[in-house]
Amino acid sequence: MKYLTFFTIIQIITSVFTENCQKPEVTALAYITGDATILTQIAFTTQFSLKCINGIKGISLYAEVNGKALPAVRLSAENKYQVSWTDDIKTTFSGDYSIKLYDEESYSAIRKAIRNSEDPSSIKPLAVIVLNNPGIYMGPWINSEFLAALLAIFVSYAAFSAKSKLLA
Amino acid sequence: MFIGSMKVQFLFCIAAALLVAAYGEEDDNDGARLLVAKLIHNKYLVENMDVIVKYTVYNTGNAAALEVEITDNSFDPDNFAHMSGELNARIDRVPPNTNVTHTVVVRPRKPGYFNFTSAEVLYRRKEDAPRLQVADSSEPGLAYFTSYKEYDKKFSSHVVDWAAFAVMTLPSLAIPFALWFSSKRKYEKLSRNTKKH
Repeated sequence: MKYLTFFTIIQIITSVFTENCQKPEVTALAYITGDATILTQIAFTTQFSLKCINGIKGISLYAEVNGKALPAVRLSAENKYQVSWTDDIKTTFSGDYSIKLYDEESYSAIRKAIRNSEDPSSIKPLAVIVLNNPGIYMGPWINSEFLAALLAIFVSYAAFSAKSKLLA
Repeated sequence: MFIGSMKVQFLFCIAAALLVAAYGEEDDNDGARLLVAKLIHNKYLVENMDVIVKYTVYNTGNAAALEVEITDNSFDPDNFAHMSGELNARIDRVPPNTNVTHTVVVRPRKPGYFNFTSAEVLYRRKEDAPRLQVADSSEPGLAYFTSYKEYDKKFSSHVVDWAAFAVMTLPSLAIPFALWFSSKRKYEKLSRNTKKH
């Protein structure tokens, strides 16, 4: 239904440490369950592969979405990860969700910042994946039977008023 | 900040604990101990429509669980289309008293009964654990996938049906109206002509 392909993004961080991923390149594939009529929650899933220019492989990744921390789950293919979560239907908004990815080092820095109630946004993520939610289908806007009843009332009102005008 | 939903998750996990079978040595309380819940987040299960399967791993032990691997072989590709998410996932580390979730979206290809069975979980209870711990997730159990036709009958907006109904009622409304309208026009013309005389 809504298979979104993204060619993302971003290459921040040019850290001095050699074991860090240099110039990360992320290719992501995302899916959001769009039909809320049969679901109790909305699932957001994205799978992506991470490529570092210096050939680092198999690092642990952590993600942050709207203040929620999620570890990126590793998939069977090499350097492929998945970040997924579910949200209440009511709290889900349409628009862009940015998934910020961190490596172990920057993630612990973030946690430290939160612990010391500092601003965590000063720590730059390794990469950002933007997930666009085009909107969730919550069922028809107006019931067709309601619309039909409304039309029937309108037609009969017009007919009866015309009739009474003629008879008057 | 993000610990908010944890309480709810924790309750889930306690419920799941009754079903979770953790084989292996009972002797030491040392190390990680995982409870794994497999939950379906659907109101209705319908053929060819999304089914959300969520695995929640909660660590009740006192050490981080390492190399946690969730494998679910219960959705075979003949009966399910995998929409998103993989059924084999590895989490490097689950710290004590935290939970980690993994979500997969599948679509059943056929209507009928289906038994949601458990997923298998392998993990290392501590860094120097000699062998992997095996555990099973909870089982969502037997469920019925409604056929899309049946679901549509109940829940579609029936726009086409009502449009057809409107078209069918149209002759009984339009024909008398047209007759009345034409005679009205005739008489109006007549009365206008008589006024001229």
